[in-house]
Amino acid sequence: MARNAAAALILAAAVLHGAAPVRAQALQRLTVESFALSADASGPLVDVPFHLVVTLRVRETVGQIANINLPILAQLELLGDERQTAGGPAGTQYRETITVVAHQPGTLAIAPATLQAVDGRDGKPKQWYTNALNLHVRANGTQELRAGERTIASAAMLALYAMLWLFGIGCAGAIGVLLFRRRRQTVSPEPAPVPPAPEEPQPSSASELEDALALLRAERTRDAAVRVRSAVWRTVGAADGETLADVLARTQGAPADLRDLLTALERSAFTYDADLQGAIDASVAALERRLGDMT
Amino acid sequence: MIAPRRPEDLRAALAETIVGQAGVIEGLLLALLCNGHVLLEGPPGLAKTLACRALAAALDGEFKRIQFTPDLLPSDIVGTRIFDQRESAFATVLGPIFANVVLADEINRAPAKVQSALLEAMQERQVTIGPQSYALPDPFVVMATMNPLDSEGTYALPVAQMDRFLMKVNVGYPTREEELRILDRFAVADTQPERAVATLDDVRAWRRQAHDVHIEEALKRYIVELVAVTRAAGDVVVVGEHGAQLRAQSLVDYGASPRATLALAHLARGRAFLAGRDFALPDDVRAVAPHALRHRIGFNYRLATEGVSADAVIKAMIAAVPAP
Repeated sequence: MARNAAAALILAAAVLHGAAPVRAQALQRLTVESFALSADASGPLVDVPFHLVVTLRVRETVGQIANINLPILAQLELLGDERQTAGGPAGTQYRETITVVAHQPGTLAIAPATLQAVDGRDGKPKQWYTNALNLHVRANGTQELRAGERTIASAAMLALYAMLWLFGIGCAGAIGVLLFRRRRQTVSPEPAPVPPAPEEPQPSSASELEDALALLRAERTRDAAVRVRSAVWRTVGAADGETLADVLARTQGAPADLRDLLTALERSAFTYDADLQGAIDASVAALERRLGDMT
Repeated sequence: MIAPRRPEDLRAALAETIVGQAGVIEGLLLALLCNGHVLLEGPPGLAKTLACRALAAALDGEFKRIQFTPDLLPSDIVGTRIFDQRESAFATVLGPIFANVVLADEINRAPAKVQSALLEAMQERQVTIGPQSYALPDPFVVMATMNPLDSEGTYALPVAQMDRFLMKVNVGYPTREEELRILDRFAVADTQPERAVATLDDVRAWRRQAHDVHIEEALKRYIVELVAVTRAAGDVVVVGEHGAQLRAQSLVDYGASPRATLALAHLARGRAFLAGRDFALPDDVRAVAPHALRHRIGFNYRLATEGVSADAVIKAMIAAVPAP
């Protein structure tokens, strides 16, 4: 409880700290293409950290994005927050990864993040919202043990500890001798730590769409269409288990060709067999249009 | 050449007469397309009767209203045989159930034998009067209403009978803007329902087309999972009146029947057809799920004591099942 309260206070303070300059400075002029909130686990486990990711894509090339307000995560403990802004000729991609951990099982309702900016389309100040998230925090296996099972488990653990204790007393002398001998031996150098593998660069949306297009051209099956649909959904920050209506609601300000693409892929995934090839043709054409628009 | 008539024409005709109540209009259309019946729950004065009358008028069909009261008899609904002295023979008088659209107003005010007479007719689509069986007209849609505010002197519908309704729609109050439009439209005189924008033959043809709407395998599994979660809600949690987190399972006595699975599939097909598609999407299933499930789940007393609405529990259950 105290940790949750502390996390709420820290985050509220962070939000207030971030909000203060909003009044003082002029809003950025941005053409928002997508703004989404997602989690890397739809069913995180209790006491296992997971990530919430806010992604924003704007048409302008800017050095930093200001005036993003995160939701208050009162039921979660905040472990870290990392922001990345990548600008290029096609626009700017902003990604904020918040590492959190839940300590209670149950359903978590996470409110949308917001962005305040002047809309590049019509020059009016506006507030954008991401989608909200509903996460289902699951108890760890050990927490699901029933009371009886717990009793049996603790009795077994006690017996095990007792055996270990006796074994430990019996072997104490032998261990002491071994340790004494080791000290006299030449200490072998410890193996050099293995350098961490370089992180695989995150593929951009365009390259993911190119891969999707290649896959759909090579494999004109429903299975391929379903995989392409998942890949495209990921590029707009959609989580598994959402529906087209959720994704379309999230991409309300997005260009029409992205929405057409999402609709065409939905048809490919769920239409009847006789219509499948026509649906895949429509999806391929929509992917080509989208890629053409992005480049 | 005359353009083929579409269900959208019917929806537009109903919207001409009824202000707002999109849920009721869609419920009526879905029931018509899926050959089912609708249970409407809402306070009086929310255009339930008008919606029924408008639907019958727009189809050029026959509309009958039966006001359920504690002294109603089964023969008041299905009809009876009377002795004709001039002919010296029994003649059959058909009851008000012989209509295309029947409004069973305040169905829970009549005792069980009257309710079961109506619900049996709904299921069998025929009634037996004396030695003779009579088929009910096709299409035949029953719209039954219940008032949630006034439960004194009512007879609760048995679970098995509730299950026979394809869907249950909660009717809410209109918005302020809608109420202003109601004032404008009905202040001077009652608006007459739009006449005959489609025929009964059109409805039969639509029904065949809606029946052919494709449901992909993954979507069938989603439907089954949605019904299964009502029986074993596992770790689904809802927030109670005082902010307490409650396990949905602790609020439910029994889950939905396999009839709910069929109803979900029928309604998803109907919704897809209304949207002009010949294949159903997860959105169709998710949109109709509350209507197909809310009268088929048995909630216990804790629902009331914890201040949780049935719809909140159903919403949490639906959210717990990932869409394909």
